[in-house]
Amino acid sequence: MNNSQLISDIKATAANMGEVRIMEVCGGHTNTVMRYGLRNVLPSNIKLISGPGCPVCVTSQRDIDAMIEIALAGIKVATYGDMIQVPGTKMSLADAQNLGADVKMIYSIDQILDETDRVFFAVGFETTTPMTAKLLQNGIKVFSAHKVMPPAMRVLTKEMRLDGFIDPGHVSTIIGSDVWGTMNIPLPQVISGFKPDQLLHSILLLLKLIQNKSTAIINDYPEVVFPQGNIVAQNLIKNTLKSADADWRGIGTIPLSGLTPIDAQLDARIVYANLFKNIESVENTSCRCGEIIRGLAEPKDCPLFGTVCTPQNPQGACMVSASEGACAIAYKYGKSLSEL
Amino acid sequence: MNTPKQNCLTGACPPIISRNMHTIKLSEGSGGREMQSLISEVRKRFPETSAWNNLRDDAATFPIGKEKHIVFTSDSYVVTPIFFPGGNIGKLAFCGTVNDLAVIGAAPTGLSFSCILEEGFSKDEFFEIIDTIASLSKQTGIPIVTGDTKVVERGGVGKIIINTSGIGITKHILSDPIQVGDRVIVSGGIGEHGTALLAKRFELESSIETDSKPLHEELIATGPFIKQAKDITRGGIAAILNELAEKNDAGIAVEEELIPLHDQVRALTEILGIDAYSLACEGRFVCITSPKNAEKTLSILRKFNPSASDIGKITNEKNVTIQTRYGKTLLAVPSGNIVPRIC
Repeated sequence: MNNSQLISDIKATAANMGEVRIMEVCGGHTNTVMRYGLRNVLPSNIKLISGPGCPVCVTSQRDIDAMIEIALAGIKVATYGDMIQVPGTKMSLADAQNLGADVKMIYSIDQILDETDRVFFAVGFETTTPMTAKLLQNGIKVFSAHKVMPPAMRVLTKEMRLDGFIDPGHVSTIIGSDVWGTMNIPLPQVISGFKPDQLLHSILLLLKLIQNKSTAIINDYPEVVFPQGNIVAQNLIKNTLKSADADWRGIGTIPLSGLTPIDAQLDARIVYANLFKNIESVENTSCRCGEIIRGLAEPKDCPLFGTVCTPQNPQGACMVSASEGACAIAYKYGKSLSEL
Repeated sequence: MNTPKQNCLTGACPPIISRNMHTIKLSEGSGGREMQSLISEVRKRFPETSAWNNLRDDAATFPIGKEKHIVFTSDSYVVTPIFFPGGNIGKLAFCGTVNDLAVIGAAPTGLSFSCILEEGFSKDEFFEIIDTIASLSKQTGIPIVTGDTKVVERGGVGKIIINTSGIGITKHILSDPIQVGDRVIVSGGIGEHGTALLAKRFELESSIETDSKPLHEELIATGPFIKQAKDITRGGIAAILNELAEKNDAGIAVEEELIPLHDQVRALTEILGIDAYSLACEGRFVCITSPKNAEKTLSILRKFNPSASDIGKITNEKNVTIQTRYGKTLLAVPSGNIVPRIC
């Protein structure tokens, strides 16, 4: 099916529906939506709401502050590119690097696989967790801000009106498609790929499920997502990491939504606890990120947006990630998302 | 007192790094918004001069007699790695300054070459860089006429920093007023320099080489047909189109399918999660022509580079938009350092 056919099918399907609220959970999908201008080809009654699936955005300020303290203490640290620019209470890891801290931006764990004197700031969902597991196997200390997606999705379905989920494609390559059926999420879901045609196709399938009041789960990315997922990766995770409560920036603590190293000697939160136990992490109280992340407010509703809070000096999670954060995108494009 | 290292192993050491935040940041040199704001902060502290013009352009101009202008520019070069597929820092330093003169419409008459070297830097590598510059100088007929060398202690500058300045002369400064409907043309495939560096840095296999090359011949040949030109450097085509729009108080609308992008650039930037439109070029420019001259300009440019393309037009909106195969979205100025996305 070509894209104009997909778009006209979506329009035809949506024509006799009221307002439909679809959450694309994964930041990668949000990026596709923005990159290809998909919002303005969808009918106006289809609302795409960006979910909490930008791992950088939902990493708590307290975790970032702790990591900055570790780096400023002269301990070598490493993390993925995006994370380096995210502000903590007083500065970002990029600022710490600027002050002289040894902060290594990595693209692949291969770059630090033998650096046992470096602490890895691990962020991301199930997609990046297996790599962290590998580092732990190699005896590298990890400060884990890893999160798992389904508990957050359950919280969101209780807190806001949603009609369906576009499930994260890459997360599903690890956990598999079958497992989504066991997550107690009472809404239809379609697992989608990241090319614009794939995403539009998944939106079309989801609309049909919503129309038929079905809560089925469709794997619309079967070329890489298998029913059982990646067993090798799952075992690697099981052997090195365990469930823990996790703080989500803008949402709060969600029970058992995070992962932490099983081996306490490799858990940087425990090993370096003295370095950050007394720091105060202060989130700007006027910041409305929590509501924006949950689709309850628009960037323009926030008093800080564009004045105190800019991409150069972000106050909250939504202004953080240039390609995935709702406020950063709105600022960059000079419009709120609903106008795009 | 314990050494910080011993302390840190027990997790008990105090922070040892100063927290003074009023310092220069890497992002202030990345070609995006932060760099522009630093430059204008500097510029406004210097007194304006009456005879010099185009002080905010790639090169400044100074009238000589009634018909001609001296064009003058200067640029410093740091790059990691200093050798990369298709070139090295010397090639960038030569071509970059030639190109800054060329986009103003000048035929470069001579360059200076200065470098700051670090103690311990390989002489073989140093002379390989020098030989690159020498052969470009010979090939283009643009001589190196003056310069300076300093050596600093090990660890001071990361092997080598080069500065080149250049002078040229032109009759026609490329800063004619533009109109709504004028065409926007790019001289070749974009993002190849940035991709070559990324591929080397991340050890990804590719045959992409830097696009670095002197552009003066292309610009002299098209000069009579174009109104303005700007070479695409840091910040990529996204930054340059926004600069052109802002400078002219106009808008630009481009079509994604018309922007020349090598398959490997597309693939590598997708793998890395990097926006190809924000990636640096070192041998490409964007020019604005009247609709009447667009075809002529394009046919000249295609002799130099078959992928030259008419990518869009000047509008009266005050933004840069890109029409994708799906919808229209904004092509925004890159902000922060360009880094890979996580997922």
